[in-house]
Amino acid sequence: MGVAISIQDLSFTYAETRRPALQHINGQVEEGTFVVIMGHEGAGKSTLCCSLNALVPRFFRGEYSGRVIVHNVEVAKARVAEMSRRVGLVLQDFEAQLFSTSVELEVAFGPENLCLPRDEIERRIDRYLRFVGLADMRRREPASLSGGQKQRLAIASVLALEPPILVMDEPTTDLDPIGREEVLSVADMLRQEQRTLLVVDHDPETAVDADQVWLMREGEVVAQGPPRQVLTDLALLESCGVQPPPTVALFQALGWPGQPLTVEEAITLIREHDLARPRPLQCPSTPTNGRPVILELRDVDYVYPTRAVEALSGIHLQIREGEFLAIVGQNGSGKTTLAKHLNGLLKPTRGEVLFRGRPLGDIRRTEMARLVGYVFQNPDHQIFSNTVREEVGFSLRMAGMDPRAVEERVAEALAVVGLAGYEEEVPFTLTKGERQRVAVASVLAAQPQVIILDEPTTGLDYRHQRSMMEMLRDLHRRGHTVIIITHSMWVAAEYAERVVVMKDGRILVDAPTRMAFAQEPALAEASLRPPPLLRLGNWLGTSGLTLEAMVEELRTG
Amino acid sequence: MNIFLYLDENTWFHRLDPRTKIIGVLLLFGIVMVFNHPLYMAGVALGLLLLGVAAKALPNFWRMRYILALLVVFSTVLWPFFAKGPTPLWSWGRLEVSRESLMYAVAMGLRLASFVAAGLIFLSVTTNEEFTQGLIRLGLPYPVAFAFSTALRLVPTFAGAGATIVQAQISRGLDVESGNLFQRAGKFIPLAVPLFIYAIRHTNMLAMALESKGFNPGAPRTWYLNPQMRRTDTIALAVLAALFLAALLLRLQGYGQVLPRL
Repeated sequence: MGVAISIQDLSFTYAETRRPALQHINGQVEEGTFVVIMGHEGAGKSTLCCSLNALVPRFFRGEYSGRVIVHNVEVAKARVAEMSRRVGLVLQDFEAQLFSTSVELEVAFGPENLCLPRDEIERRIDRYLRFVGLADMRRREPASLSGGQKQRLAIASVLALEPPILVMDEPTTDLDPIGREEVLSVADMLRQEQRTLLVVDHDPETAVDADQVWLMREGEVVAQGPPRQVLTDLALLESCGVQPPPTVALFQALGWPGQPLTVEEAITLIREHDLARPRPLQCPSTPTNGRPVILELRDVDYVYPTRAVEALSGIHLQIREGEFLAIVGQNGSGKTTLAKHLNGLLKPTRGEVLFRGRPLGDIRRTEMARLVGYVFQNPDHQIFSNTVREEVGFSLRMAGMDPRAVEERVAEALAVVGLAGYEEEVPFTLTKGERQRVAVASVLAAQPQVIILDEPTTGLDYRHQRSMMEMLRDLHRRGHTVIIITHSMWVAAEYAERVVVMKDGRILVDAPTRMAFAQEPALAEASLRPPPLLRLGNWLGTSGLTLEAMVEELRTG
Repeated sequence: MNIFLYLDENTWFHRLDPRTKIIGVLLLFGIVMVFNHPLYMAGVALGLLLLGVAAKALPNFWRMRYILALLVVFSTVLWPFFAKGPTPLWSWGRLEVSRESLMYAVAMGLRLASFVAAGLIFLSVTTNEEFTQGLIRLGLPYPVAFAFSTALRLVPTFAGAGATIVQAQISRGLDVESGNLFQRAGKFIPLAVPLFIYAIRHTNMLAMALESKGFNPGAPRTWYLNPQMRRTDTIALAVLAALFLAALLLRLQGYGQVLPRL
């Protein structure tokens, strides 16, 4: 097999920045192999992807040195349009890539640019829509598709150019588990076709099947090798802000033999070496928090005014003071719709929502912000000020608080989110993780009793996900009621006390976390799966929710 | 949220060549402009309603019912004061309403509604891409047509982001509904700045995606959509042109007018 991509001492610094985005990258990708690139936010993964199809240095200008050769073509000397025949690039934000009014025209765009005759375009539309499983949606509007479908459409629209190399930058980040599997199965089929595939991903489960894993840190590639070699070096993974495979971490902590990358492997090893005996799972009878109910939904139905479909039906939910609740479910299952009822952004079509027994309709908006805070998924949907200080103090000024008190509260909120001393920074120039924290601080400043966060960890790397969740745990300890909406199962498992599983606008499971994740069939019905550690825990019958707890339990037997 | 009016049906309107649709709607606009007599205008409006039925565009008429009703009501109430006619009905100081001006006002109301109706029928049967394709076939350079259609395409995307931004700021206690005009204008900033930045990020990302798919505005390209002028197109255009000319002749003969003005 020949060499598909050869990178020789590549360095790149974006114009108007000082720190190099890529430093002395060397690497080779053989034809027909599958490479997974991992690393922390800002490690240079996206820049590396862009350097393969000439977006770097053609679209993004800067200081470029070294060479990238793709199938005997030097990338820096080619134009992006030329490279598009050789390297297909699926960008991180799939929403922004779709711009046609129908699925088929979206796929037709690339071949049209290649000046292909009409019947060839027709053939490619047909072929690649079938390939990604969207053949019966040709006339649909892309905006009406689910997240997984949109991402698959984005892939099909790039595949239609028939590039021998496909590069995907975090193709599964915003997707629920089922959407993720849909996309990964497309990746699988591409491998069977002997196409070269480069995927940037945070999840060690994706990397398990790769031929090569590249680890990046601060613009450098620090490790290259088969997954079994790279993914078992826990210290190195940690230093790159990458989540280590939990089964490997568990085996290493217990000193068990073997480095299982998957749950199945772990089970085989445990059986083989008789490391532990599976026993019936005994969930500790969780002390029912006897505190008063703070938020209550009584028999709530909600129908979106524009669509006839019911977004919520027959919801009964009581949230007690000081709880840490996670709402999980597929995209479109009604999680966000439910959460938006909790601070009155949406009004139920039928039924009622009560805050400490008071109907939400009786509460004014400015007062509401002090009772229930709501952090939206994307911090960029709310940041507008020139300084962090102004941004965080916004809701207080809206409530008419005097400037000195505002100052104090702002400092306090920033300290809680770990951004003390950032008052004079310009929020737009902060990293995504920091902007997320500014958004949380701006909601916290009003000192709401309940704080709701929509996907607080999406778009953050493992390190930032951890610190964001630790911060929420801290808030919870201080007495706030915390509600998160998430599609990250391990986040729900490790941090929430109680999990609500939603499907088609209904509550399918509402139980203490360990019990909720023990119900694998019910979760499967909602297209969810427990995180790997708890799948193993379900098999072993351990009741711990974190790595540490499981290690403790298995040690003492 | 869907602000596009295209309805995915399969009537013979939908099957027309986009060039026919564009020229056709211009001819319809022309016909709407000819008369200012309410009875003649009522005929035109009825004709458009029937076209709407044939094109299965009624759901859009229903969606726009308030706007249509408002146009008719406002223009009927306001026009009489601005058009002067020979037979006075009522006067108060310099304000004067005549029989003709009242009739003219009703005709203007119908004209505006008909105008909107013609546009609605066009948008109900034409996708964004067809429209672009039609413009290109009529001689508009591709880069211009592409910019135009992309701009149209981004409207709903930005509207969606705007809705989220409003909710995010309301959750933080922004009260958009109270205060005087000046205060309200100030409250616009927390909404406008994030939207502006979103737009820049989004557009930049789109540009990257377009280039990655081999887009090059100056280079030759082919099209998947391949509209053809058929017999029905010729007939449709001939009928509309004939109707327009007939209407124009009638008006020049003095029919269909209550006041000698547009």
